Amino acid sequence: MKKRIIFHIDVNSAYLSWEAVYRLQHGAAIDLRDIPSIVGGDESKRHGIVLARSIPAKKFGILTGETIYSARQKCPNLTIVPPNYERYMKASNSMIKLLEGYSPYVQRYSIDEVFMDYSYNSEKNFLDTAYEIKERIRGELGFTVNIGIGPNKLLAKMASDFKKPNRVHTLFHDEIENKMWPLPVDELFMVGPRTKAKLNKRGIFTIGELAKLDREYIYSWLKKPGLVVWEYANGIENSPVRNTPLPIKSIGNSTTTSYDVDNRRESHMFLLALSEMVGMRVRNLEQCGRVISVSLKNDKFYSYSHQRKLSIATDSTNVIYRTAKKLFDEMWQGEPIRRFSVSISEFYSNEFQQLSLLEDYNEKEEILDKTIDKIRNKYGYNSIIRSCFLHSGVRPIIGGVVAEEDYPMMSSLL
Amino acid sequence: MKVLMKPIEMIAWFTKDKNPIPLRYRIVDENNLYRVVKVDRVLFAEEEKLAGNRMILYRCESTINNIRKIYELKYEIDTCKWFLFKI
Repeated sequence: MKKRIIFHIDVNSAYLSWEAVYRLQHGAAIDLRDIPSIVGGDESKRHGIVLARSIPAKKFGILTGETIYSARQKCPNLTIVPPNYERYMKASNSMIKLLEGYSPYVQRYSIDEVFMDYSYNSEKNFLDTAYEIKERIRGELGFTVNIGIGPNKLLAKMASDFKKPNRVHTLFHDEIENKMWPLPVDELFMVGPRTKAKLNKRGIFTIGELAKLDREYIYSWLKKPGLVVWEYANGIENSPVRNTPLPIKSIGNSTTTSYDVDNRRESHMFLLALSEMVGMRVRNLEQCGRVISVSLKNDKFYSYSHQRKLSIATDSTNVIYRTAKKLFDEMWQGEPIRRFSVSISEFYSNEFQQLSLLEDYNEKEEILDKTIDKIRNKYGYNSIIRSCFLHSGVRPIIGGVVAEEDYPMMSSLL
Repeated sequence: MKVLMKPIEMIAWFTKDKNPIPLRYRIVDENNLYRVVKVDRVLFAEEEKLAGNRMILYRCESTINNIRKIYELKYEIDTCKWFLFKI
């Protein structure tokens, strides 16, 4: 096979840059990227974490994911701006559109990361193209990116992470030893804090040390996931740049409530609001799911979950809700809850269905769901809601950052 | 020129092939009174799509208080809003 050339384009402090550019376009005097600033959620609703930070904010030691409260303690005159996902989608789409001019194989990996296969264009040097793309994005769209170039998606992704911002890096097989192996092992894709701890315990601190381990040894110790990271450490990865999305395996929505919920009735309402969203999404996918699971996080930040397999697959909001409610009642200990999530998996096509003698099947319910979906699609999500939510203070449909649009989420699959 | 980014009310001419052309706009001045300004000439117009947000920038010329002035207007395509950007 011909040598592959894969680009990984990564927006530098994406949310923050996009917000900064948007503000400059609207006549703001200060560029958020030049001052200590963060994009953060609403503290009063307990969504108060740092979503993105500027480079000056990074110098104060502010981390992505920490609470706004602690960020403000590190830097008292920090500028905090709220997130606006619709704007981010617009910025991300404009970047994809620009990239599609260079290759037919463009994969949006997340809102601010894109893979592009450039193997098929041999007329132009790939480095020239990378610099051209970087400059065009900066000139036309106003934000900076890092571009990593490698023989596969993994190495391209590792390369774009080297030195930021506004850089082009390469990482080919012969460069792995110098550029990637000296890095700490948790810099490697898929090595999180827990794998890192395990590896550190056996004296593995750099990617190189992991790469040099014996394949059989790592397999007998960490099994298949271990083998995956070992292969990554050696630069082995060969997934294609997918320009069609992967099939969906599960759908779930969750919410952190703005106050701790301590009674059954309200908990059920949150579950219902989430079930509404999950149900709509499953029906939109034209699938039915069989496994419903509910997970809770209590006021001590301890999470637990419960799941159940139904005898017939469903896409009905009511069935999802009834199952979720049952699961909740079985596991809830009566303590205050701060986070609810409902998800459905094990999908089947909804074209035809094997019914069960032991379970109710109500055709009317199916028609009702479809009708409600139609009304909501036409007149907005809140055009028709369940009466129990009236004056309750609980939103009737919960879940998702952008309710109207598909927001690309991060995935562990390249 | 100073950045103002003040929302304005606009009468514009939407053509068949080109960008809309600003003709006349109304702005609230410092005494809270409406002032109508006629756009005498559009020097140039260019589209920008910073952060993916499409806006058309116009450099224009008008006579305001008997003084010829050059300034910039902006039209935000997604929201259909006009702004006095710089003067």
